[in-house]
Amino acid sequence: MAYDNSVLDKAREIAQDCQGGHLSFCSARCPMHTDAMGYVNLIGENKVTEALLKIREVVFLPGTLGRICAHPCEDKCRRNTEYGQPISIAALKRYAADKADDEKLWNTSKKPATGKKAAVIGCGPAGAQAAIDLAKEGHDVTIYEKLNVVGGMMRVGIPEYRLPRNVIDFEYTYLGKLGIQFKMGVEVGKDISFDELVKNYDVVIVANGAHKGFVPPIKGSESEGITNAADFLRAVSLDNKSVKVGNNVIVVGGGDVAMDCARSALRVGATNVTVVSLEKKDEMPASDHEQHGALEEGITFHCGWGGDEILNADGRVNGVRFKECTSVFDADGRFSPAYGENKLELECDTLIFATGQVVEDATDGTLQRGGGGRYSVDKQTLETAIDKVFAAGDCAGGTIVIEAMALGRKAAISANRFLAGQDLKADRDFKMEFHFESTLDIPLPEDAQDLPRKYTNALDPKERIKSFVECDLGFDGDVAEEEGQRCLKCECKKCMTECIMLNDFTQYPGEMFEKFLKDGDIEPLVAYSCNMCDQCTIVCPEEFKFAELFGAIRREMVKANNGESPMPGHKAIKMHQRLGFSKFFTVVAKGGKK
Amino acid sequence: MSRKVFLPGCALPSYNPMNVEAVIKHLKNIYPDLSVVQKCCGKPTQAVGQAAKFEERFAGLVEDIKSCEAEEAIVACQSCMKTLAKGKGYKTTSLWELLPQIGLPKELVGKAKGSDVVFSVHDSCSVRDYTGIHDGIRWIVNELGYKQVDPEGRAREKARCCGFGGMVVPANPDVALRVMKRRVDDFPTEHIVVYCAACRQSFIKAGGKAWHILDLVFGDVVHANTPPPEDTLSKPLKAWRNRYRSKQLIKSAMR
Repeated sequence: MAYDNSVLDKAREIAQDCQGGHLSFCSARCPMHTDAMGYVNLIGENKVTEALLKIREVVFLPGTLGRICAHPCEDKCRRNTEYGQPISIAALKRYAADKADDEKLWNTSKKPATGKKAAVIGCGPAGAQAAIDLAKEGHDVTIYEKLNVVGGMMRVGIPEYRLPRNVIDFEYTYLGKLGIQFKMGVEVGKDISFDELVKNYDVVIVANGAHKGFVPPIKGSESEGITNAADFLRAVSLDNKSVKVGNNVIVVGGGDVAMDCARSALRVGATNVTVVSLEKKDEMPASDHEQHGALEEGITFHCGWGGDEILNADGRVNGVRFKECTSVFDADGRFSPAYGENKLELECDTLIFATGQVVEDATDGTLQRGGGGRYSVDKQTLETAIDKVFAAGDCAGGTIVIEAMALGRKAAISANRFLAGQDLKADRDFKMEFHFESTLDIPLPEDAQDLPRKYTNALDPKERIKSFVECDLGFDGDVAEEEGQRCLKCECKKCMTECIMLNDFTQYPGEMFEKFLKDGDIEPLVAYSCNMCDQCTIVCPEEFKFAELFGAIRREMVKANNGESPMPGHKAIKMHQRLGFSKFFTVVAKGGKK
Repeated sequence: MSRKVFLPGCALPSYNPMNVEAVIKHLKNIYPDLSVVQKCCGKPTQAVGQAAKFEERFAGLVEDIKSCEAEEAIVACQSCMKTLAKGKGYKTTSLWELLPQIGLPKELVGKAKGSDVVFSVHDSCSVRDYTGIHDGIRWIVNELGYKQVDPEGRAREKARCCGFGGMVVPANPDVALRVMKRRVDDFPTEHIVVYCAACRQSFIKAGGKAWHILDLVFGDVVHANTPPPEDTLSKPLKAWRNRYRSKQLIKSAMR
């Protein structure tokens, strides 16, 4: 039926401005939009299996991500922005995985087979995610992996003491259950040509990561005893017993990779490990957690120094001279270090550069590449110059694991559209394919108070540096539950907690009225189930007057129904009102005139 | 003193005509030239969405008030309170705000001092903004000698609906009943006092023990084991008979 413009305008306003569908700060910041608020609260209610299932609705690596995700969600957590004490979201995810994950719970359903074939180069988080999403769409997926182990950079970049290998192997068995084929130890470009893949498959996803480290060309860099983070960590990961370092190790770099190198160096025999970063201590990109772990293990930091010259004797490194770095970025925020006069000389017998990694071409020069060797892609769709080839992960612009996964998913969405002959961009919600700033604007809960963040248990630093055994022991159950209960539940479902009837029809009013506008109508039962009690309006941050709108809709429905309510039950009201105004039951008794 | 007209509304006469009569007698002691109009304000017609019919019906009621030459309408129903405020030429006052000013019949003051009941007070959601009404009800309960308590965080301006509003009961009885039950669960004590007969009906339906404030004023003292008055509003024949009885009692009280 046709509604008056005043009704449609009001509905439009609610559809646009209702915050009910706005993601929480944590979930919006997650490139994969895991429902962190959802699982954190379930853990708070000791519903650990439900929490695990909620995590697994979005990501296949809860135990892995719970250990090593850089968790940008925690930066945006309102407990961080308000009190500087974010919820331990990642550690809670790990807790759910450790306690409740069970392959019997895994959703291995797939759409019917399409007969289309997809090749994925690389078995890291991006390649695996793309492979999963394409397999679920019913395509026949084969992964080509250069190494003999799964996990990509998670396996050969992140040390075992942070991420035990059995966790990766267990979680990757999910791919096999989906029927994904693995060609392990097959290097594209060497064992099989990229052209062959392009010829033999309907789509190709290139996700070979950025595994090539480098040593910056400063004076003395040709000396022996110098390596780069990628090579060092790969060697440590594949066979740590074969890796030899000197007693004095210097690691140059300020990110998590530098921390990984320094802490691994201790574990393969170094006695003195020093990290030297260009950035000042409080500017270092390494996460607080990793810096803290390194400090606990006795690693020394020199912050605000850049390499000047590598010192050597008989062609072997024996020290480094650094120059003071006065600023890392220029006024426009570009990387452009400026140096002062002060110098610092440190002795070492092993020098590791953790100053970035680049992409090794897996396409025999077929795909164009840009900065860092990354493939040139359309940032929205990850399509390359070859229309059946998409690139994802570190080799296409990601920087952390969860971003790589989001890019893997994005590439899979594009590839799936391509296989279906659909336009890659039409009617696509690109915003939801990566992280964004939450638009939620709600007051803090009335009873909110600053409660301290809970930390996981850790192995004694003196003990843990003796081996690659996992350092972080995770949460105890009661602590995890308490930590889950700290969540401020940043969502606007205030009306939904007050109103019973709305819950029968929608998840939030914005959704309800969007549907109303789309359908051009609404069930009379919806409009006539409102108690008109305004409880929703009292709590709505926008103070939307839903009762008034439902009232206006009712009036329109009555108008279109010959002046009568469309609800069968209201026939009784009709009679009731007729009697309520009839002479038989009414009286006007005037006083004071007799 | 301005001339006054008392409007008991619909639900109250249908629930308990004796209470209507008792209120009129008390008011007439103070306002000898009091008029009384028993008629619906049209709120149900309005809630259903029959805008034109509502205007016509409400205009008729305003005419009745004017025919009494009254400058002030005293109402015992919260829907009437809001609906009548739309009319012009008279002032609308809630009976529950008026009673603290004029007092209760002297013989009733402190009558329930010996009662072991603690009443949870239910405020009508339609008058969340009327602090004077909330205060008035609490004053009455206290004046009678009963102990009382508010549902924490769900009283006065934060009161929740009893489930009866918006003509939902005939349209979606299942939703209405769930709202009623939730509201009953809000109360910290078993005994509930309301100032709307429809709210009382809702709570009885939901398994609650509820009394209308006038039951407390004019009825027997309530003790812990006293059962609540029967749910006459859920029995149409009885309810209409009461409404008719109320009309007769008004006429005789006004003679």
